[in-house]
Amino acid sequence: MKRDLRAGVLRRTGRPLTVAVAAAVLVALTACSSESGDKGDSALTDAAAMKNYAADTTFKASEPVKFSMLWTDWPENPVKPSWQIFNEIKTRTNVSLELTNIPFSDAKQKQSLLISSGDAPQIIPLVYTGDEQQYAAADSILPMSDYVKYMPNFQKYVQQWDLQQMINNLRQDDGKYYMVPGLQEVSVPTFTLVIRKDVFEQVAGGVPQTWDELRNALVKIKAKYPDSKPLADGFEGASMLNYAAHAFGTVAGWGFGNGTQFDEASGKFVYAATSPGYKAMVEYFHGLAADGLLDTESFTKKNDGSGTVTDKFAQGKVFAASGSNGTVNDFSTALDAAGQKGKYQVVEIAPPGGPAGQIVEPRNFWNGFMLTTKAKDDPHFLSMLQFLDWLYYSAESRDLLRWGVEGQTYTKSGDKYTLKPEYSLKSFNINPNGKTDIGTDLGYSNNVLSDSTESRALKVSYNPPAYVDYINSVLSTRKPRAPFPPAPLNAEELEQAALLATPLKDTVDTNTLKFILGERPMSQWDAYVNELKGKNLQGYLDLINGAYERFKKKNG
Amino acid sequence: MVIMTDTLAATKPADGGKPAGPHDSRGYKVFTVLNMVALVVICAVTLYPFITLLAQSFSSAGAIKAGLVNAVPVGFNVRTYEAVLQDGRFWTSYGNTVLYTVVGTTIAMVLTTTFAYVISKRHLRGRNALIGLAVFTMFFNGGIIPNYVLISSLGMKNTLWAVVLPPALSVFNLLVMKSFFENLPQELEEAAQIDGLGTFGTFIRIVLPLSKAILATMVLFYAVAYWNDWFTAFLYLDKSDLFPLSLFLRNLIAGASTTASESAAAAGTTSAAISPNIQAVSMILAIIPILFIYPFVQRYFVSGVMLGSVKG
Repeated sequence: MKRDLRAGVLRRTGRPLTVAVAAAVLVALTACSSESGDKGDSALTDAAAMKNYAADTTFKASEPVKFSMLWTDWPENPVKPSWQIFNEIKTRTNVSLELTNIPFSDAKQKQSLLISSGDAPQIIPLVYTGDEQQYAAADSILPMSDYVKYMPNFQKYVQQWDLQQMINNLRQDDGKYYMVPGLQEVSVPTFTLVIRKDVFEQVAGGVPQTWDELRNALVKIKAKYPDSKPLADGFEGASMLNYAAHAFGTVAGWGFGNGTQFDEASGKFVYAATSPGYKAMVEYFHGLAADGLLDTESFTKKNDGSGTVTDKFAQGKVFAASGSNGTVNDFSTALDAAGQKGKYQVVEIAPPGGPAGQIVEPRNFWNGFMLTTKAKDDPHFLSMLQFLDWLYYSAESRDLLRWGVEGQTYTKSGDKYTLKPEYSLKSFNINPNGKTDIGTDLGYSNNVLSDSTESRALKVSYNPPAYVDYINSVLSTRKPRAPFPPAPLNAEELEQAALLATPLKDTVDTNTLKFILGERPMSQWDAYVNELKGKNLQGYLDLINGAYERFKKKNG
Repeated sequence: MVIMTDTLAATKPADGGKPAGPHDSRGYKVFTVLNMVALVVICAVTLYPFITLLAQSFSSAGAIKAGLVNAVPVGFNVRTYEAVLQDGRFWTSYGNTVLYTVVGTTIAMVLTTTFAYVISKRHLRGRNALIGLAVFTMFFNGGIIPNYVLISSLGMKNTLWAVVLPPALSVFNLLVMKSFFENLPQELEEAAQIDGLGTFGTFIRIVLPLSKAILATMVLFYAVAYWNDWFTAFLYLDKSDLFPLSLFLRNLIAGASTTASESAAAAGTTSAAISPNIQAVSMILAIIPILFIYPFVQRYFVSGVMLGSVKG
């Protein structure tokens, strides 16, 4: 009662945050348009830039320059202006960064607000592929494809790590791409199956390599622990369906995307949730649920992904569940607290294979950056490009961002990085007794810049051995699916597609769950497909295929 | 609770004679018992989250993650309190919140009382226009981006004023206060004027002292609103050393609990590093001041709002 009476204005503005920001973006979309940046190279301002800048040379501005950058503040690792990393960057490049802090909790909303109001800094880091679309459509960010020719390190590693095709897939409807991503020499699924390896080895004869093997193993475990429902997913099924779908030759869960998948045979996009692969996957999980092998509660109950599944894992009611590197820690902590210390082994395993083969998700980029349009007005624009190329893509900077200054904080021989004993990196549990934390005290290994571009050696250098095993097992035994060709929609089509896709996806989500839980018999699959057709599935597919054909014609 | 006792008191026989009828009847006893049960249940439901939070704040992170902590701390320790209390950021944001609350509430009270007093005078010409102006903003506003651009162009971004001024006048509070003033006896003010007080004199020396109840209530409303407000600060502040406690807490809690979502998962493996006991301790420390102020002001709070409504 008292709370309801409380001053109205504050709360009114607070509630519909996302809606309002989304609306604001739309306004910006219509408001600021025209001025497309095609002024040619002559307009590129090059004060303080390097004439002979090339791959593997250190960028150094000929005079001190200042660039503004957005910085997302992680609660456990808040940025400090005194961090050595900023000083070191300045010493090497003559560039000082002027940061705009935004809290991690609502980073996306604030970013959207800043960009839409024209108040954003020049450099927007932590951009994942797809994030840039709304801003690209509103012309509030620069088409990076026009400028990558000034970024030799980027070019070099795109070639070396065979990423050109994936870069081409970033292109929007106008044939340009608006962000440059973090490049990964190797990429593995972040979320996969986390299992009690000791139990699987004792009871079920080892780590399952396919979903069928997993099923057999679960049956044996269930026989030994009748109270258990050994398989769970703390993300309402969305995580498990995501990595399972690739093995069944489709897309689902978190990876459902716009709901379409490319069919090589017909050369067209088809709807994933009506495909035979999707049906086979749903049948498989339905079988698990029917035999009491699947913790169905975790598929229906909203939770934070750890909560109840972690409890069940600790109590020996679940033996395999979806999770990431961090989940392994959570499960271990909970098992320790339950008095199991030393009696278990929890590991991530490569996502099991299936009818489509030992297939996992396509290779991925990691976060990169985009530039707001006003960056182009900076007299040091070319310097900025060269600086960012060095910062994000050069081998020198990658080592600096992760480990600090060679000889001072770490030593390197070949591919082996060793932190000096007086330094620690507690977030990865390296040298926990070192006096100075290179992360929280010096700013290296930060969440904003350090993860972006990584060679395989660098990725291996700081991750725990179990995770390195996971990486190796995925890379040696699984094959990433080929990415789908681009089919970028224009602004009108985007709106139309959203209107069509939402009811389709709702139907898919509800029914996928119903089929798996047995609330709807599999015999009604055709009826379900017809329900989707009744929601103008064909119209939606025509839209996507139209965009695909158009893009193919225009951009080859 | 207070309201309950009042109602009970009012049903007592006024003559003070023998306890008659309703109190002895069986129905009344059943009612009383049911009433108590209901109140105890409501009380328990309301208090339980607080107790859990308190228990968590004294527990070990492992026990909380394993879901072992309910009402009693498991793995009792006060190290989390020590850690949080030594955290410079916590105190910076705490200080900011106190500053924003004090300055903000002061400004808000000055604006609200004076505005409400003016529009409570029925003889004032243009009074309806003034009320309309205020009420208009209750239903329509510029929206987030225009407001943001406004504050930014006024040069208030990253200053105290950006947090304090935009929410400084709550129309709801204004209307409550207006109706309170309207119900003060006109004769008192007339008497004051005959004795030689001007408008401000009447307002400050006669009206305000008679309005302590509503003033206390409004101070409470505004102070709590400022104390809890994170959104204004989120919009207009870009420097973390200006962040109020609410924003600091939100980052700590919302930031850590979005671990499950896909985008946060993509954002890195360390996002679960804020342990739940740190969240609990920070929350406890953040609500303590409000918890302590509330009981003292509640008396006014009840009588203040009742006064306005009953007499109106």
